[in-house]
Amino acid sequence: MVLTFIDKTGASVLSALDTAGDFATLAGRTFVAIFKRPFDGKNLLNQFQAVGVHSLPVVILTSVAVSMVFAVQLAFGFRQFQAEGLAAQVEGLAIVRELGPVITGLMLSGRIGSAMAAELGTMQVTEQIDALECLATDPIHYLFVPRFLASIVVVPLLTVISIYVGFWGGYMILVGVEGQSAFVYSHEFYKLLAFRDLRIALYKALVFGMIIALVGCWKGYRTQGGAEGVGNAPTSSVVTSSLWILISDFFLTKLLLV
Amino acid sequence: MALIDVVNLSKAFGPKVVLSNVNLQVQEGESLVVLGGSGTGKTVLLRNIMGLLTPDAGHVAIEGKIIAQLKREELFKVRQSIGMCFQMAALFDSMTVFENVAFGLRRHLEISEEEVRSRVDECLSMVGMKGTDKLKPAELSGGMKRRVGFARAIALKPKILLFDEPTTGLDPVMTDVIGRVILDLKHELGVTTITITHDLKSAFEIADRIALLFRGECIACEPPDAFKANPHPVIQQFLRGDADGPFLQDPPPPKRKSQEAHP
Ligand SMILES: Nc1ncnc2c1ncn2[C@@H]1O[C@H](COP(=O)(O)OP(=O)(O)O)[C@@H](O)[C@H]1O
Ligand SMILES: [Mg+2]
Repeated sequence: MVLTFIDKTGASVLSALDTAGDFATLAGRTFVAIFKRPFDGKNLLNQFQAVGVHSLPVVILTSVAVSMVFAVQLAFGFRQFQAEGLAAQVEGLAIVRELGPVITGLMLSGRIGSAMAAELGTMQVTEQIDALECLATDPIHYLFVPRFLASIVVVPLLTVISIYVGFWGGYMILVGVEGQSAFVYSHEFYKLLAFRDLRIALYKALVFGMIIALVGCWKGYRTQGGAEGVGNAPTSSVVTSSLWILISDFFLTKLLLV
Repeated sequence: MALIDVVNLSKAFGPKVVLSNVNLQVQEGESLVVLGGSGTGKTVLLRNIMGLLTPDAGHVAIEGKIIAQLKREELFKVRQSIGMCFQMAALFDSMTVFENVAFGLRRHLEISEEEVRSRVDECLSMVGMKGTDKLKPAELSGGMKRRVGFARAIALKPKILLFDEPTTGLDPVMTDVIGRVILDLKHELGVTTITITHDLKSAFEIADRIALLFRGECIACEPPDAFKANPHPVIQQFLRGDADGPFLQDPPPPKRKSQEAHP
């Protein structure tokens, strides 16, 4: 009874280590492969298109929604202490430091990470990845690298857009509905922020971009078991990368703020 | 020295032994046909030759280079001289036929776009698929996909061509077409080939030697005439295409007399 428990725990620890090692190896190979020839510009451009341009609407919509609802809550909360003026300051702090990067990261893990997992997973089970190998092409170099590069450029860019949109989301509620002065809002929004807050937001976005692309590609690349496997790959990629986005967000905040 | 040398190759997946102690030599310019029931490890054999799988024991050597011991760059060099035709063609479905065939050319040769185009046209006409270059793989039938797969495999002028069940799942006419394409490729390009097939007719046309895989072992590897005359009961049963005999692990359902079936 006790022995089987220890056995099982041991086995699951080992398999978790295996998985982590496999991910680390592939991530390492991706970093190395970035600098390898030949450089495939067309492929990279396609990825920018798929990852970047097509994600714009969803990032804008979620940023507006979240910043508006957050502003409503802040206005309500601070009204309890007759401190409505603080709402804009806290709104700015929250959007730049947390909501912008995290919302963008989470939405993109659903939007592009899952697409990567599905695409590579299909290629894996239909032997297209083996065909790449047979045509003397490293799948890491051909498939992972363009997605990785596109993702680490696009996620920070979209984070900036999300912050900008978040500013106007808060504006609509606090100025439009709560009747604060537009000039005061624009001033107060940045009051608690320094330039380094934007830098921290971009660092976070960069790390989230890496997580999204690497986890998505890895889950796709390791797909097995036909249609069922292809079905599981995107789900598992979204869950895994969202989890790691939130975990790394905590540590990045702790590390970068002190 | 043999161009392809498979030595004591063994491969198991977990407890399931797929190949045990397989030995095959293929000389330069020779075509070997590998026969065997479904699931006897024919594809596994080819994947070991391509270095997509690593053997548990034994090795595969191509031109004396042991595949499993090569560095990745060296392995890619060797693979450039091998064309692999997959069982389900494995075309890149996001690309057109043209881009599929041009893939290796664009990546490995420093040649102009016109040269790529003329080489792709040449390869497509060799497999009888001229004029399909703008189509996507989803718009092709099974036989057409296989032939585009051939064109992609021969684009880099490989020394070795590997065909994995090129005719399985096709109608008899298309089977004959594919058989002829393979013969043409063999004569025009003078390549060394390994063909896996269930189609005995084209097997005997293509083969210089025929091997039969049975329960993970290679039980014969000899010229077609000797193969036909081989008294081994498994070989004779395979040639007859009969369910009764030592070939199957589980005994087949008994044969009914047609009068019994329809009284
Ligand atoms: N990657 C794999 N993992 C586990 N088992 C495998 C794998 N590849 C092949 N097999 C098993 O090996 C056996 C032979 O497969 P294969 O070589 O594809 O047969 P065939 O001779 O029909 O091409 C099958 O029983 C299959 O289940
Ligand atoms: Mg097979």
